[in-house]
Amino acid sequence: MLKRRNLLSAAALMPFAAIVGTAKAAGAAKTYYWISHGGPADPVWTYFLSGANTWAADTGATVKTSFHSGDVPSHQEALRAAIAAKPAGIVTTSPDPGSLVKVVDEARAAGIPIINFNTPDPKANFQAYVGADLGVVGKGWAQYLVDKKLVKDGDFIWMPVEVPGATYGVQEAAGAATVLKPMNITTEVTDTTLDQAEVINRMADYLTANRKKIKAIIGLGDLVTGSIKRVFDQVGVKPGEIPVVGWGNSTDTTQEVLNGYVNAAQWQDPQATSYMALSLAAMASNGIPPGFNIITGALYGKDTAGVYDKILSSK
Amino acid sequence: MERTWVERLVAKPELGPFILLVLELIVFTAINPDFVSALNISNALTFTVELGLIALAMTLLMTSGEFDLSVGSVFGFSAVLMWTLFNTGLVVMPVAFVITLLVAMFIGWANGMLVTKQSIPSFLVTLGMLLVVRGTALYATQGFPQNTWRADNQWLAQVLVGDMTIFGLRLYMSMLWFVLAALGTHYVLTQTKVGNWIQASGGNANAARARGVPVNKVKILLFMFSSMMASFAGIISSIRTQAANPNSGTGYELEVIAMVVIGGTVLTGGRGTIVGTVLGILILRLMRNGIVLIGVPGLAYNIFIGGIILGMMVLHNYLERRHHAGT
Repeated sequence: MLKRRNLLSAAALMPFAAIVGTAKAAGAAKTYYWISHGGPADPVWTYFLSGANTWAADTGATVKTSFHSGDVPSHQEALRAAIAAKPAGIVTTSPDPGSLVKVVDEARAAGIPIINFNTPDPKANFQAYVGADLGVVGKGWAQYLVDKKLVKDGDFIWMPVEVPGATYGVQEAAGAATVLKPMNITTEVTDTTLDQAEVINRMADYLTANRKKIKAIIGLGDLVTGSIKRVFDQVGVKPGEIPVVGWGNSTDTTQEVLNGYVNAAQWQDPQATSYMALSLAAMASNGIPPGFNIITGALYGKDTAGVYDKILSSK
Repeated sequence: MERTWVERLVAKPELGPFILLVLELIVFTAINPDFVSALNISNALTFTVELGLIALAMTLLMTSGEFDLSVGSVFGFSAVLMWTLFNTGLVVMPVAFVITLLVAMFIGWANGMLVTKQSIPSFLVTLGMLLVVRGTALYATQGFPQNTWRADNQWLAQVLVGDMTIFGLRLYMSMLWFVLAALGTHYVLTQTKVGNWIQASGGNANAARARGVPVNKVKILLFMFSSMMASFAGIISSIRTQAANPNSGTGYELEVIAMVVIGGTVLTGGRGTIVGTVLGILILRLMRNGIVLIGVPGLAYNIFIGGIILGMMVLHNYLERRHHAGT
């Protein structure tokens, strides 16, 4: 009788046990924060986001994502909210050089692994960095133009950028300057905004006004480089007439490279960057501190553009 | 006593913006003669008319005493919606176009109902709608822009944005739509009973109601028209730029309101002018173009734009005072 009662009790408790078990499993799924300074509709950021979502699906972890469109206070606020939530790890970009020094210290003090991706900030005490070395990228673009004899001493290079003063443009321009300054090649950075129609409009205006003096263009961001074809077509510049190098993380740019509008473009491995940054955060969360950075990216030309076009088209 | 033609001219609210536009043209052309080259005029007019379509509708709405801050997000949302419907093969392009305009009109209707029936200021209602519509576009697309490359062989795309070259000027069909819209809205505002209702609604809504003007109905219809025109402009822009980005149109609302106010429409309602708005559109957009043409340093662009807008407003204010003195 006692045995039967125990059996019944056990049967009655089973649903509760199942609920507790499920809750435990859910508790086991760790939460990570993925915080970006990019714009939510910037084409390249959709690929970074896609990498984070794939990692979440592969690992079963929860990844909470947010975009802050270059707004430093908003970015810092999101980081502090994440620290308060005590996640297993945080991965974040840097909206401006030096802007996250204090908040990164707060995360480290709270024992939360914090990994930097996409835009490096050596001043902040991140555990690791995943992404391109932006200074090296800028230098690479300038060196490409010089090596291919597309520019010479005393020329002028135009550098359009979506958000002037943001980390990426600053570091890329500084990297390019290491090659261009000794050759007395002058440059000008112009503001295009993040709005596609305005980007095309401002770039077309600038090109119309300065067509004669522009000997090459370095697109410091993906939106501006991806707009080259439409700007050239509007102003009446033929593909190849003005050499162009820049970012190449969108199908707009891969097509431009394939069709001769852009000479060479920089691939940043956007999905892989997010994926690897989250992997490092997970590793640190499990007690293995990352003692290295992961540098991504490659400069591609017409011969290999098809590879990246395929990757981006299969989003 | 009959007034002389000079007095009649001085009394026109469009005189101030007209003088500003002429001054702008003279200064920019003197500094860089390429400002009036065919290529530059073509470039400058391309985007100008797209924003201009929104400004025309906003003029009527502001004359009735209301604002619409959601036009920028409707601009971006509409392009995304139309291309999503078309690219997924759900409907053919003309049907996607009509559905999108209807959805935009529904957004305008919701704005109008909340403003008139709930008596919530249009500033707050349309600010909320701005966020709802922008957020919907972003969430629905997960941030990915819609592909519009297949627009080339669509007759509707040619009707909306097809280009032609006239006397060396590359003009888009959107210019024709803008001219027709400007003529239509000018006619409605100055020659029809509806135009009187719009001005009466913005001037003194209670007095207008007492005289039988259907103030609420007028305002709701104007909100619907405002959203529809923003949607139309967004679709045109997406075909021309070959990009339907959920984030496009950000900040357009403020630029459009500035165009309308510089043109002479009163911010508090009651008096509006389409001719003035057309001048305001040209003043602001040509100024942006001219600043680049005359070669100001790239990163000083906004300093010059802001400085010139402030200078223009001072001059505008002075001319307005002269205008009132002349009446």
